Amino acid sequence: MTHLKRLAASLAVVALIGGGASSLAFAHHRHHHHHHAMSSIPQHNGGDHDADNNGGPSDGDGNI
Amino acid sequence: MSAHPRTIALAAFLALAGIAAFAAAGRGGDKPAQPHPQAFDWLRPASVPGSWSARRLPGSPARLPVPPGWRSARSDPGTRTVISRGPSGEIAGYLNATPRQGEESLASWDSFRVDHNRDEGDRDVDLLAAASGLRFGTGRGSCVLDSYRTETDARYRELACIVAGRAATTVIVAAAPPRQWRAEAPTLRRAIAAFTT
Repeated sequence: MTHLKRLAASLAVVALIGGGASSLAFAHHRHHHHHHAMSSIPQHNGGDHDADNNGGPSDGDGNI
Repeated sequence: MSAHPRTIALAAFLALAGIAAFAAAGRGGDKPAQPHPQAFDWLRPASVPGSWSARRLPGSPARLPVPPGWRSARSDPGTRTVISRGPSGEIAGYLNATPRQGEESLASWDSFRVDHNRDEGDRDVDLLAAASGLRFGTGRGSCVLDSYRTETDARYRELACIVAGRAATTVIVAAAPPRQWRAEAPTLRRAIAAFTT
Protein backbone atom coordinates (compact mmCIF):
# COMPACT_ATOMS: atom_id res chain seq x y z
CA MET A 1 0.00 0.00 0.00
CA THR A 2 2.97 2.30 -0.51
CA HIS A 3 1.09 4.00 -3.32
CA LEU A 4 -1.50 5.19 -0.83
CA LYS A 5 1.18 6.94 1.21
CA ARG A 6 2.50 8.54 -1.94
CA LEU A 7 -1.02 9.67 -2.84
CA ALA A 8 -1.51 11.22 0.58
CA ALA A 9 1.82 13.04 0.36
CA SER A 10 1.03 14.32 -3.13
CA LEU A 11 -2.35 15.63 -2.06
CA ALA A 12 -0.78 17.42 0.88
CA VAL A 13 1.75 19.09 -1.41
CA VAL A 14 -1.05 20.23 -3.75
CA ALA A 15 -2.90 21.68 -0.76
CA LEU A 16 0.13 23.62 0.38
CA ILE A 17 0.85 24.97 -3.11
CA GLY A 18 -2.79 25.91 -3.70
CA GLY A 19 -3.20 27.60 -0.35
CA GLY A 20 0.08 29.43 -0.68
CA ALA A 21 -0.73 30.75 -4.13
CA SER A 22 -4.14 31.84 -2.91
CA SER A 23 -2.56 33.69 0.00
CA LEU A 24 -0.14 35.43 -2.34
CA ALA A 25 -2.96 36.47 -4.65
CA PHE A 26 -4.99 37.76 -1.72
CA ALA A 27 -2.02 39.69 -0.35
CA HIS A 28 -1.48 41.26 -3.78
CA HIS A 29 -5.11 42.36 -3.92
CA ARG A 30 -5.01 43.82 -0.45
CA HIS A 31 -2.04 45.97 -1.34
CA HIS A 32 -3.21 47.22 -4.71
CA HIS A 33 -4.18 50.59 -3.27
CA HIS A 34 -0.74 51.39 -1.92
CA HIS A 35 0.00 54.07 -4.41
CA HIS A 36 3.45 54.32 -5.86
CA ALA A 37 3.25 57.96 -6.73
CA MET A 38 5.05 59.33 -9.73
CA SER A 39 5.00 62.71 -8.03
CA SER A 40 3.43 63.83 -4.78
CA ILE A 41 1.46 66.97 -4.08
CA PRO A 42 1.56 67.97 -0.42
CA GLN A 43 -1.89 68.21 1.16
CA HIS A 44 -3.35 70.19 4.04
CA ASN A 45 -2.49 73.50 2.38
CA GLY A 46 1.11 72.45 2.17
CA GLY A 47 1.29 72.30 -1.59
CA ASP A 48 -0.29 74.42 -4.22
CA HIS A 49 -3.13 75.76 -2.06
CA ASP A 50 -5.81 74.36 -4.35
CA ALA A 51 -9.31 73.53 -3.14
CA ASP A 52 -8.32 69.90 -2.62
CA ASN A 53 -5.77 70.98 -0.02
CA ASN A 54 -8.14 73.31 1.79
CA GLY A 55 -11.11 71.15 2.60
CA GLY A 56 -12.65 71.44 -0.86
CA PRO A 57 -13.70 68.50 -3.01
CA SER A 58 -11.08 65.87 -3.73
CA ASP A 59 -9.48 66.35 -7.14
CA GLY A 60 -8.57 63.56 -9.52
CA ASP A 61 -4.93 63.17 -8.59
CA GLY A 62 -3.69 59.66 -8.10
CA ASN A 63 -1.25 60.59 -5.41
CA ILE A 64 -1.73 61.53 -1.79
CA MET B 1 3.06 -0.11 6.51
CA SER B 2 -0.06 1.46 4.96
CA ALA B 3 -1.32 5.02 5.21
CA HIS B 4 -4.17 5.46 7.65
CA PRO B 5 -7.49 6.08 5.85
CA ARG B 6 -8.10 9.20 7.98
CA THR B 7 -4.72 10.58 6.90
CA ILE B 8 -5.67 10.12 3.27
CA ALA B 9 -9.07 11.70 3.84
CA LEU B 10 -7.48 14.72 5.57
CA ALA B 11 -4.93 15.15 2.78
CA ALA B 12 -7.68 14.94 0.18
CA PHE B 13 -9.74 17.55 2.02
CA LEU B 14 -6.77 19.92 2.26
CA ALA B 15 -6.01 19.42 -1.42
CA LEU B 16 -9.57 20.22 -2.46
CA ALA B 17 -9.68 23.27 -0.18
CA GLY B 18 -6.40 24.54 -1.61
CA ILE B 19 -7.54 24.02 -5.20
CA ALA B 20 -10.83 25.79 -4.49
CA ALA B 21 -9.07 28.75 -2.88
CA PHE B 22 -6.63 28.98 -5.76
CA ALA B 23 -9.44 28.92 -8.31
CA ALA B 24 -11.36 31.61 -6.43
CA ALA B 25 -8.29 33.87 -6.31
CA GLY B 26 -7.58 33.26 -9.98
CA ARG B 27 -10.99 34.47 -11.09
CA GLY B 28 -10.96 37.41 -8.68
CA GLY B 29 -13.26 35.69 -6.27
CA ASP B 30 -12.28 38.05 -3.45
CA LYS B 31 -13.38 41.17 -5.36
CA PRO B 32 -16.96 42.13 -4.57
CA ALA B 33 -19.40 42.97 -7.34
CA GLN B 34 -19.79 46.63 -8.22
CA PRO B 35 -22.74 48.24 -6.44
CA HIS B 36 -25.63 49.67 -8.44
CA PRO B 37 -23.99 49.95 -11.88
CA GLN B 38 -27.38 51.00 -13.27
CA ALA B 39 -26.83 54.34 -11.53
CA PHE B 40 -24.80 55.28 -14.62
CA ASP B 41 -27.46 54.47 -17.17
CA TRP B 42 -27.72 58.20 -17.88
CA LEU B 43 -24.20 58.26 -19.31
CA ARG B 44 -24.24 58.61 -23.08
CA PRO B 45 -21.40 60.30 -25.02
CA ALA B 46 -22.45 63.81 -25.95
CA SER B 47 -20.90 66.92 -27.41
CA VAL B 48 -20.19 70.01 -25.34
CA PRO B 49 -23.40 72.06 -25.28
CA GLY B 50 -23.33 75.20 -27.41
CA SER B 51 -23.51 77.59 -24.48
CA TRP B 52 -20.60 75.89 -22.72
CA SER B 53 -16.86 76.18 -23.28
CA ALA B 54 -14.05 73.67 -22.77
CA ARG B 55 -10.62 73.95 -21.22
CA ARG B 56 -7.80 71.86 -22.58
CA LEU B 57 -5.36 70.27 -20.16
CA PRO B 58 -1.73 71.28 -20.71
CA GLY B 59 0.11 68.79 -22.88
CA SER B 60 -2.93 66.56 -23.16
CA PRO B 61 -5.78 66.07 -25.59
CA ALA B 62 -8.21 66.04 -22.67
CA ARG B 63 -10.79 68.82 -22.57
CA LEU B 64 -12.81 69.70 -19.49
CA PRO B 65 -16.31 70.95 -20.38
CA VAL B 66 -17.10 74.22 -18.62
CA PRO B 67 -20.73 75.16 -17.91
CA PRO B 68 -21.72 78.80 -18.36
CA GLY B 69 -20.93 80.98 -15.37
CA TRP B 70 -18.41 78.57 -13.86
CA ARG B 71 -14.98 79.98 -13.05
CA SER B 72 -11.50 78.52 -13.12
CA ALA B 73 -10.03 77.66 -9.74
CA ARG B 74 -6.49 77.02 -8.67
CA SER B 75 -5.53 73.40 -9.13
CA ASP B 76 -2.53 71.15 -9.41
CA PRO B 77 -0.10 71.66 -12.30
CA GLY B 78 -1.28 69.95 -15.45
CA THR B 79 -4.90 69.85 -14.30
CA ARG B 80 -7.99 71.98 -14.80
CA THR B 81 -10.64 72.87 -12.21
CA VAL B 82 -13.76 74.99 -12.56
CA ILE B 83 -16.18 75.87 -9.81
CA SER B 84 -19.60 77.39 -9.34
CA ARG B 85 -20.27 79.21 -6.11
CA GLY B 86 -23.37 79.80 -4.07
CA PRO B 87 -24.62 83.14 -2.73
CA SER B 88 -22.30 82.98 0.28
CA GLY B 89 -19.29 82.02 -1.78
CA GLU B 90 -19.45 78.36 -0.86
CA ILE B 91 -18.67 75.74 -3.51
CA ALA B 92 -21.92 74.69 -5.15
CA GLY B 93 -20.41 72.70 -8.01
CA TYR B 94 -16.94 71.41 -8.83
CA LEU B 95 -15.34 69.96 -11.94
CA ASN B 96 -11.75 68.77 -12.20
CA ALA B 97 -9.77 66.91 -14.84
CA THR B 98 -6.42 65.37 -13.99
CA PRO B 99 -4.13 63.19 -16.08
CA ARG B 100 -3.59 59.68 -14.74
CA GLN B 101 -0.70 59.96 -12.29
CA GLY B 102 -0.26 56.78 -10.29
CA GLU B 103 -1.67 53.28 -10.17
CA GLU B 104 -5.25 54.26 -10.88
CA SER B 105 -6.77 52.02 -13.52
CA LEU B 106 -10.12 51.27 -15.07
CA ALA B 107 -10.13 47.79 -13.56
CA SER B 108 -9.62 48.86 -9.96
CA TRP B 109 -11.15 52.33 -10.09
CA ASP B 110 -13.96 51.72 -7.58
CA SER B 111 -11.67 50.57 -4.80
CA PHE B 112 -8.87 52.93 -5.79
CA ARG B 113 -11.00 56.06 -5.61
CA VAL B 114 -12.53 55.41 -2.21
CA ASP B 115 -9.19 54.25 -0.79
CA HIS B 116 -7.56 57.36 -2.22
CA ASN B 117 -10.14 59.67 -0.69
CA ARG B 118 -9.58 58.02 2.69
CA ASP B 119 -5.82 58.33 2.23
CA GLU B 120 -6.27 62.04 1.66
CA GLY B 121 -8.03 62.41 5.00
CA ASP B 122 -11.65 62.27 3.93
CA ARG B 123 -13.97 60.56 6.39
CA ASP B 124 -17.25 58.70 6.10
CA VAL B 125 -16.29 57.74 2.56
CA ASP B 126 -19.25 55.81 1.19
CA LEU B 127 -19.24 54.10 -2.19
CA LEU B 128 -22.79 54.44 -3.49
CA ALA B 129 -22.44 53.07 -7.02
CA ALA B 130 -19.78 51.94 -9.48
CA ALA B 131 -19.62 50.77 -13.06
CA SER B 132 -16.98 49.92 -15.63
CA GLY B 133 -16.89 49.54 -19.39
CA LEU B 134 -18.77 52.82 -19.78
CA ARG B 135 -18.69 54.53 -23.15
CA PHE B 136 -17.29 58.03 -23.55
CA GLY B 137 -16.82 60.10 -26.66
CA THR B 138 -13.18 59.11 -27.10
CA GLY B 139 -12.86 55.88 -25.16
CA ARG B 140 -14.03 53.73 -22.31
CA GLY B 141 -14.17 54.48 -18.63
CA SER B 142 -15.02 53.41 -15.12
CA CYS B 143 -17.01 55.59 -12.74
CA VAL B 144 -17.97 55.78 -9.09
CA LEU B 145 -20.60 57.71 -7.20
CA ASP B 146 -19.54 58.28 -3.63
CA SER B 147 -19.88 60.66 -0.74
CA TYR B 148 -17.43 61.80 1.90
CA ARG B 149 -16.67 64.40 4.52
CA THR B 150 -13.45 66.41 4.34
CA GLU B 151 -11.16 67.16 7.23
CA THR B 152 -12.86 70.55 7.52
CA ASP B 153 -16.26 68.82 7.83
CA ALA B 154 -17.46 69.85 4.39
CA ARG B 155 -19.61 67.13 2.84
CA TYR B 156 -19.54 66.30 -0.83
CA ARG B 157 -21.04 63.81 -3.19
CA GLU B 158 -18.97 63.08 -6.28
CA LEU B 159 -19.02 61.40 -9.62
CA ALA B 160 -15.46 60.37 -10.42
CA CYS B 161 -14.52 58.65 -13.65
CA ILE B 162 -11.29 57.45 -15.19
CA VAL B 163 -11.42 57.51 -18.96
CA ALA B 164 -8.96 55.83 -21.30
CA GLY B 165 -8.87 57.68 -24.59
CA ARG B 166 -6.84 57.06 -27.69
CA ALA B 167 -3.90 59.17 -26.50
CA ALA B 168 -4.42 59.76 -22.79
CA THR B 169 -6.02 58.37 -19.67
CA THR B 170 -7.60 61.09 -17.57
CA VAL B 171 -9.70 61.37 -14.43
CA ILE B 172 -12.71 63.66 -14.28
CA VAL B 173 -14.32 64.53 -10.96
CA ALA B 174 -17.70 66.22 -10.61
CA ALA B 175 -18.76 67.11 -7.09
CA ALA B 176 -21.31 69.10 -5.14
CA PRO B 177 -22.48 69.32 -1.54
CA PRO B 178 -25.29 66.81 -0.86
CA ARG B 179 -27.81 69.60 -0.32
CA GLN B 180 -26.93 70.97 -3.77
CA TRP B 181 -26.80 67.61 -5.51
CA ARG B 182 -30.30 67.56 -6.91
CA ALA B 183 -29.79 70.97 -8.51
CA GLU B 184 -26.25 70.39 -9.72
CA ALA B 185 -26.38 66.75 -10.82
CA PRO B 186 -27.78 67.43 -14.32
CA THR B 187 -24.92 69.86 -15.04
CA LEU B 188 -22.31 67.55 -13.55
CA ARG B 189 -23.60 64.59 -15.55
CA ARG B 190 -23.65 66.64 -18.72
CA ALA B 191 -20.02 67.64 -18.16
CA ILE B 192 -18.99 64.02 -17.72
CA ALA B 193 -20.94 62.90 -20.78
CA ALA B 194 -19.16 65.55 -22.88
CA PHE B 195 -15.70 64.88 -21.48
CA THR B 196 -13.06 63.81 -23.99
CA THR B 197 -9.48 62.63 -23.53
